[in-house]
Amino acid sequence: MDHADGGDGGAAAADAGTDGGTVTDAVTGATEPFDPPGVTWRRVSPRLVTSQRVTGTLWSAPVVVVLLVLAALLTWWIALGAAVVAALWAWAWWLTGRQVPAWGYAERDEDLLVRHGLLFRSLVVVPYGRLQYVDVEAGPVDRRFGLAKVQLHTASPDTDAAIPGLPPEEAARLRDRLAERGRARLAGL
Amino acid sequence: MSGSEPAGAAAAGGDAREQEPAVEAVDPAVAGRLDAPTRAVLEDAGWRRLHPVTPVLRAWKIVAAVLAFAVVQNGDELLRIDVEAWLLALLVLGGLLVLAVVGAVYSAIAWRRTRYRVDAEAVRVERGVLWRQQRSAQLDRLQAVDVVRPLLGRLFGLAELRLEVAGGSGSKVSLAYLREEEAQRVRNALLAAAAGLRLDDAGGGDLSAPEAPQRPVVHVPPGRLVAATLRSASTVLVVLAAVALVVGSVAARSTTPLVAALPGAVGAVSAVWQRFSRGFNFTVAHSPDGMRLTHGLLELRSQTLPPGRVQALRITQPLLWRRPGWWRVQVNVAGYAVGPGEAGQEATTVLPVGTEEELAQVLAIVLPALGASGPGPEAALALVHDGLTGRDEQGGYTPVPRSARWLDPVSWRRDGYRVTEHAFLARGGRLVRRLDVVPHARTQSLGIAQGPLQRRLGLASVALHSTSGPVKPRVEHLAAPVAARLLVEQAGRARAARAAAGPERWMSGDADG
Repeated sequence: MDHADGGDGGAAAADAGTDGGTVTDAVTGATEPFDPPGVTWRRVSPRLVTSQRVTGTLWSAPVVVVLLVLAALLTWWIALGAAVVAALWAWAWWLTGRQVPAWGYAERDEDLLVRHGLLFRSLVVVPYGRLQYVDVEAGPVDRRFGLAKVQLHTASPDTDAAIPGLPPEEAARLRDRLAERGRARLAGL
Repeated sequence: MSGSEPAGAAAAGGDAREQEPAVEAVDPAVAGRLDAPTRAVLEDAGWRRLHPVTPVLRAWKIVAAVLAFAVVQNGDELLRIDVEAWLLALLVLGGLLVLAVVGAVYSAIAWRRTRYRVDAEAVRVERGVLWRQQRSAQLDRLQAVDVVRPLLGRLFGLAELRLEVAGGSGSKVSLAYLREEEAQRVRNALLAAAAGLRLDDAGGGDLSAPEAPQRPVVHVPPGRLVAATLRSASTVLVVLAAVALVVGSVAARSTTPLVAALPGAVGAVSAVWQRFSRGFNFTVAHSPDGMRLTHGLLELRSQTLPPGRVQALRITQPLLWRRPGWWRVQVNVAGYAVGPGEAGQEATTVLPVGTEEELAQVLAIVLPALGASGPGPEAALALVHDGLTGRDEQGGYTPVPRSARWLDPVSWRRDGYRVTEHAFLARGGRLVRRLDVVPHARTQSLGIAQGPLQRRLGLASVALHSTSGPVKPRVEHLAAPVAARLLVEQAGRARAARAAAGPERWMSGDADG
């Protein structure tokens, strides 16, 4: 299996700076397909890393505890299960730190670009005129960290365009802006 | 939409009429080309009812469903109950009778509380006994109109009218049941209203035409359908499984495997049967209201797809159809909710099995602007021919690089795409040949993806997102720079095509389909 390129992900996360600030693409060292010319990418908030790590911990910690208790009561083999869960948790911890800086979005005149993934990369182009509706969601942990997720919906179920880890003001601004641009360019199906 | 004739001023109404102000009847000029009873549907914007036999059919459906469930689930226990046979029979019959009466009463109440009407903007339906529901479907969002006649309905001369308005799953508007003529009349009226055809546009056409004149284009003979069904992959699987089971049983000297496999066998055979019964007597016709498909053995179905409603199209050829040269055509139509099950496939097939000439005919109707050298079947066939059978750069396709063979060793030479003035064509599949066609104006969004192996080989995949349906256009393993360029250019083409797209009401302006 090919290892994700470069070790610059974590470093870039550290110096990513302000929430949703405009940074030209230096994050993933993307090859051409994921970096159309003349596009200035906006990043998601680095707080998303902490938020996702907390969420992961909240899910896996109880499982580990239960498995360890069962191991103590019944047979120590069950502790292997706890070890596996702990390993997955550690892996997710590490992965989150690399994946979050890879999220990016860019508003262009006619469409919105959303990019994510390091190992499995993906870039989606959503024309404003095709937007059917926009969701803004925030779970309890995300709210705690002051984050929200913007999900775009077109008439196609394959449009996989979501931007997590936006500060609520930015999410609201984006939602209103998309609605406004969508109205201006609305097309039939 | 410009006409203004209050509901109260329209023709004399039935008992179901109510005086409600803010309703506009459809512009009389729109209805001009229809015959008198059809025109009446549009001119009278009052409430209408479903056919009074509806509760009986619904009650029977409830009884049949419960009966089938009881027999399948508890047949054995029922026989083992320790009572006299006559008493048991009496109990069962009595239970069914009670069920039928309860079902009929409920259905009758439901029928009384269901009504619909057609006005200038929308079809409105009110239904529900405890939870009232009012639904209004905008006419300019109409995606397809189906008239379905189930077996039982055919005995009574009744039909169900289904309207698709592309609002995700459950957005369908169903009017069940209407008299057959009534259903067809409402359909024709709806299509005329949705088309926005005005009398002065029609150029003084046949004013008494009962519906838009249709011209049959393709008819699939039953013999070919039988042969095609026998040559399908599912039939082959059924036969192989049966042989394996029999051999296994003989070897094990036991019938247990046979009994255990019975439900699976029933399911498999019924799937094959379904496909046959759906495609039976399949006829494709062309009319100004769009493409009309009629088909079915027990349940008859007549679908109308107005022009420009097809979002994407897929032509496939299973391995065993190669020798006779048959093809299947499926489409994405917004609102034809497509699940993994049979129900979705049923509505989205526009040609279950056809020769290359028939394929060309269907293409010329579905995407009239497709042909490079103008409209017509020949131009359409010339365009798709290389996509169906070609490989590498044949036919002006952009192939995938040689390094793609590591990821797609079988069909990498078939993978590729081509862009024409109006559409995007994606070719693929070596054993099961496949060609996807997406009009530029129908692209929803675009995506590009790259996995770790693809990155090492310098490849990327491009997907065009279409509405839900069997067609998922995607070109795998393009050279990364080619994919990047395709993404940018295709976004531009889709934008330009969208700006130039015809109106939703396909006859109200210079719609080019």
